Amino acid sequence: MSAASLKIYCPCLNPNSLPPPPNLPSSSYSYHEIHDLYFCEECDSIRCNRCVSVEVSGYYCPNCLFEVPSASVRGEKNRCARNCFLCPSCKNTLIVVPSDPPESADGRISSINTLGDPPFFLYCSHCRWDSAEVGITFEKPTSLANQLQKYEDSAPDNLEFERLKEHFEPFIRASSASSSVTHHLHTAQHIHSNPITAAASDALSRDVPGVSKYNPLSRSRVGRDKANRDEMPEYRSRMDVSLTGSDSANVENLLRIESPEEIATLEQRWINSWTSSVLTNDLKPLRIPLHSKKSKRCPTCRHILIKPEQKPQSVRFKIKISATSYLPLMGISLPFLNNPTTAAYTAKRSIRPGAMWEEDKNSTPNNPVMVGGRTYPFVLSFTNPMYDPIQIRLNVLRSPLPTITTTAPTDELGTAPQPEKRRPPFAITLPTFTFSVAAFAEAWEYDDEDGDGMIEDEYADLVDDRRHASASSRTAPGRGGKTKTVGVLEKKANTTYIGGEVVIGKEAKGDIKFLMMVTFTYRNDTVDDMDIGEEDGDGDGSPVRTTNPQSSSLANANKQPEIRTFSYYVVVDLGKIAQKSGEGSVDERR
Amino acid sequence: MQQPIYYSRNEYIETDTGNKVSRKAIIAGPQNIILGGKTIISNGAIIRGDLRRTGSGHTVVISLGRYCLIGEGCIMRPPYKTYRGNFNYYPMKVGDHVHIGAGTVVEAATIGNNVEIGKNCVIGKFCIIKDCAKIEDNTILPPNTVVPALAIFRGSPGRFVEELSESTPERVEAMTKQYYNRFVPMQDQ
Ligand SMILES: [Zn+2]
Ligand SMILES: [Zn+2]
Ligand SMILES: [Zn+2]
Ligand SMILES: [Zn+2]
Repeated sequence: MSAASLKIYCPCLNPNSLPPPPNLPSSSYSYHEIHDLYFCEECDSIRCNRCVSVEVSGYYCPNCLFEVPSASVRGEKNRCARNCFLCPSCKNTLIVVPSDPPESADGRISSINTLGDPPFFLYCSHCRWDSAEVGITFEKPTSLANQLQKYEDSAPDNLEFERLKEHFEPFIRASSASSSVTHHLHTAQHIHSNPITAAASDALSRDVPGVSKYNPLSRSRVGRDKANRDEMPEYRSRMDVSLTGSDSANVENLLRIESPEEIATLEQRWINSWTSSVLTNDLKPLRIPLHSKKSKRCPTCRHILIKPEQKPQSVRFKIKISATSYLPLMGISLPFLNNPTTAAYTAKRSIRPGAMWEEDKNSTPNNPVMVGGRTYPFVLSFTNPMYDPIQIRLNVLRSPLPTITTTAPTDELGTAPQPEKRRPPFAITLPTFTFSVAAFAEAWEYDDEDGDGMIEDEYADLVDDRRHASASSRTAPGRGGKTKTVGVLEKKANTTYIGGEVVIGKEAKGDIKFLMMVTFTYRNDTVDDMDIGEEDGDGDGSPVRTTNPQSSSLANANKQPEIRTFSYYVVVDLGKIAQKSGEGSVDERR
Repeated sequence: MQQPIYYSRNEYIETDTGNKVSRKAIIAGPQNIILGGKTIISNGAIIRGDLRRTGSGHTVVISLGRYCLIGEGCIMRPPYKTYRGNFNYYPMKVGDHVHIGAGTVVEAATIGNNVEIGKNCVIGKFCIIKDCAKIEDNTILPPNTVVPALAIFRGSPGRFVEELSESTPERVEAMTKQYYNRFVPMQDQ
């Protein structure tokens, strides 16, 4: 299968920033699948999960799927208060079983059986951990969290937490009035936090009035509050931390163990907030942490981009402003590389898009690879989500960066590395002219009902297209003009297929990744959709860029439709260059 | 560019509603199996419609929605348990646009719409997988696991990893439709 992929750059509130070099591992945080991106119409800008503001809009248990009202989330310490527990040993969900559970044919206890005799206990159907072994049993199979309350309440971490809360309460009450003012200020400038920090700080600032939202810009506040803080009495912990979990007890335990499994792994103990015993036998079942549904807003203009439906398991959204409704959907393929059947198929039709592939010794039919010193075609597809046609222009960025990573530290002559003298490992050819992509129409949707005719057409056009598109395309060099690989290959419904070509240098290694600027223009029928755009527009994911012509035509009667342009960066990854045979293995491909 | 995925024409039977069922798949108890249409059952898949609840008469054991893919060598087997001393099988319901990777064994109770399940997974008895969830390759879901909507599960035992994007419904629907359209018979020589 092909490793080819396309990712879009999100400038994350820094509209003039250039995208980072695509071949650096650290750059992966800047490039996203189109499906992971949002689009703010107000700001005419791409937004990603790293730059949107996130608010929790509801909590639910990921196991019993019950919605938990925000009011009780705090009291229940963000965990399910029903019958949902994690296995302390493997983190699987535990089930409740009666004493002497009926075993099924394969020896596993397979169901939650509320019949049977007490005492009941919790059982892991994955690792067979059971709570009776650690001394936890229940008189009835319901309200387990309640029955476990006594264990939880007396746990040292819980006691310490309660004591901390008591200690801070007077201070919080005293400062809550003044901080509610600053709280609002902070909401407005609260722009640069990741979703987790934001969700946590939102929850914290709501539940604990004295705590303001986390905001990297507001560190200076600390100075102002200092005076206040000094008035607080010193806190003394319930017990001396240095005395808990004493080593001598551990040594004794270690002396007695007979197998390494008796010691809990670090991972098993990791989520404990308190020094705990190292013995597996002392691990306790954990109430399942709640999950949340989240709303997302544009960090700049605060317009809402995602608003989920209330119902916990609904995958519908009251508002969903996805980038897929605004940017053309792009696809990429290496037609003669990924699909050996296709190669055979096209060969049969004697299209022969370049004789250079067919005798490629590294490229067995089941393992097609790209090797240095050759030329390969690739196909980019652009599908228009809008009700108006768009014009697209591509601009490959010929950056100096490949020399950094793809050339060996010393060349054959042993001369000092001089980046500008090195040859780039590969060269990309893509059409530089503007091409159009037809408008989206509901009727296209029916295309998938009438079968497979389109596939043949694509390849037929490789030949036919020359007739009517020759003015805007060229044949690949060194080809004798037999077939076309660069240019507009086909237009079908609201999709346009663009052929490109990559020439790989003889000694090239590494990934074939390049940056491309995509610029598209579209007609905007409204005078100024900034004013018309209502905050909570419909977010059903359908194309919405074109606003309703009826409503705008009155205000718009005398004006020409406005032509708008939008540009963004896309990193195209065509896959790895395989090492030549004799130079080493070809295993690096993946 | 939609590259075709070819199969030999005589290898698959195409039904009136566009289901494509491999002749090399084992469909046991076909009268108890419902295929929604445009669903592909690949070579070597085993679907146990014969494991039905005791009793007489017609019953649905396994139902699959539209645009599903049951990968090569998959086993779809209804879950069972002993309740009040009686051993019984329980029906399995799979929604629309569900892809199941090669070599995966499924004994789930329900699988929602737009669900992607990877290769070589074990989906234990009475698992419930909600809409638009994703199970990564080689994941083991123990019996009774609940996978919430839009969640990714991975590992053994399968655990929550992260949430999927809000546009997953459209993405998976388009992907499954496209896959069906690409899955075409090889032209005769
Ligand atoms: Zn961003
Ligand atoms: Zn729960
Ligand atoms: Zn376990
Ligand atoms: Zn905005």
